Amino acid sequence: MTLADLYSMMPIVITGGGALIVLLCGPLLQARSVSWISVVISGSAGVWAAFTPPALTPSFPGVAFTPLAQFLIPLFCLSAALTLLFSHGYNERRGILGEEYPATILFGLFAMCLLPCATNLLVLFLALESIAFAFYILVTMDLNRVESGEAGLKYLLMGAVAAAFTAFGFALIFAGSGTMALAGALAATGNRVIISAGWGMVIVGIAFKLSLVPAHLWTPDVYQGAPAPVAAFLSTSSKVSAAALLLILLAFSPPLAELRAPLYALSLLSMVLGNLAALLQSNIKRMLAYSSIAHMGYLTLALLTGTREGYAAVLLYGAIYTAMNLAAFGAIASLSLDAERDQIADYSGLGFTAPLRGGVLALAMLALAGIPPTAGFIGKFFIFYSAIRGGEMTLAIIGIVSAAASAYFYLKVVVHLYMHRSNAAPPAPTPAAESLALCCASLFILGLGVFPAPLMRIVDAAMR
Amino acid sequence: MSVPLSHVLILASVLFAMGLGCVVAWRANVIMMLIGIEIMLNAVMLTFVGGSAHWGIADGQLFALMIMALTSAEVSLALAMVVYLHRRKGSVNTDDFDSMKG
Repeated sequence: MTLADLYSMMPIVITGGGALIVLLCGPLLQARSVSWISVVISGSAGVWAAFTPPALTPSFPGVAFTPLAQFLIPLFCLSAALTLLFSHGYNERRGILGEEYPATILFGLFAMCLLPCATNLLVLFLALESIAFAFYILVTMDLNRVESGEAGLKYLLMGAVAAAFTAFGFALIFAGSGTMALAGALAATGNRVIISAGWGMVIVGIAFKLSLVPAHLWTPDVYQGAPAPVAAFLSTSSKVSAAALLLILLAFSPPLAELRAPLYALSLLSMVLGNLAALLQSNIKRMLAYSSIAHMGYLTLALLTGTREGYAAVLLYGAIYTAMNLAAFGAIASLSLDAERDQIADYSGLGFTAPLRGGVLALAMLALAGIPPTAGFIGKFFIFYSAIRGGEMTLAIIGIVSAAASAYFYLKVVVHLYMHRSNAAPPAPTPAAESLALCCASLFILGLGVFPAPLMRIVDAAMR
Repeated sequence: MSVPLSHVLILASVLFAMGLGCVVAWRANVIMMLIGIEIMLNAVMLTFVGGSAHWGIADGQLFALMIMALTSAEVSLALAMVVYLHRRKGSVNTDDFDSMKG
């Protein structure tokens, strides 16, 4: 290990060390400074990763700063920083006290930074599980609402079963190939039957993490029970990291014909059932949960093609989806006062009484629906384009139709925001931190919708 | 090695299926679900140790040790939540944890 290796590992060191520092120094500082220190830590880790040239040789056993990591770490750090900005005011209003909250977010971020760097199955599995552990705690963090604790327990029990599936899959891949290194283990040179069985188990585990139908049942409850900023972080970074894990595994293995059928079924069911179930929801967080199931179905569709274009579309969509969902959940968090603003009907008239937050929520909804000037359109366009180029015509058409149907429930929120009046008192003015975070997310959505070329160049570099 | 890999894998698969069965059948009780998950993870560890012995490398044993650490963290987290919810609701029955529907 040389100094250069240490430099390339700095994002992981900064987030891990930062989490410990926040935990140790938290009791001595004010909540405001703890929040700001955490934002600075995640921001600096992201900036460091963005400006460090990637290296292909492992810096530590099992960990290498790959081009994929150079793309994903800044994305995760950005979403953690925005989540922390949303959380500060929300936690103050809700009485979620203590430095455990920012420290747990940083621990989760640490594991997320580690995941794309992994070069063997052990590090990959530990990173995946550490992310999940951080979220089990974060979901349960709101002690004032009983839903929060219930959601945490449900998430943990289902997550533990999924972890057992993933671990069994890794165990079978190891037993079949005789090596733990990703490049060797997935090359399918060993016992093909055992490795295929292992892949099946891994797909089941990842389907849970990505909340693909039929392993989606936890999603609506967890999103509803979790504090809104946690739901923002959970629906973006945790999902993108699970997709990245599948991407890493698929990229290392030769094309496997037996994977097509399960991925096809998962993608089809998620797109159709996710969008249909979202039509029926009156609770905005549950609606967004079902919408995220459908969006992960689109991601799976792009993964299914197995082409370089498809994988690039996954990364692009991951980044865009992060911005869209952070904006949506951030606006919800910011509009929720001492009680969650849960029902879609509660948002009536907020486009006028809270112009910034209402506007950002409307923009996020339009982006999730895939309306052209926003980034959501670019993301969907490349997913379906790569699917059609990859030969998945039927599934792409089903996806496009279900995406068109999904516009109904997204626009319902916009209609409530701008076309209904309500006599409720206007919400309190937006705190500066939340306005900043909301503006960042909306700039990202609009900027990428108009100028997608820079991000596509970055994605292309990450694929190398 | 005296025990062939296939025997280990068959035993591990049966154990895994039994653990999964436990989780699915005793869905009503959180403690039983945790026990089922433990059994599933034991099957995983068995597979790793068997694979390591078959190939003559220690990586799998290392993974098994890590899973032990992970399991203990998981159980402590789960039990903390169970104790907290038991204090609030006076029950460890999952049927009573029904405040969210839809």
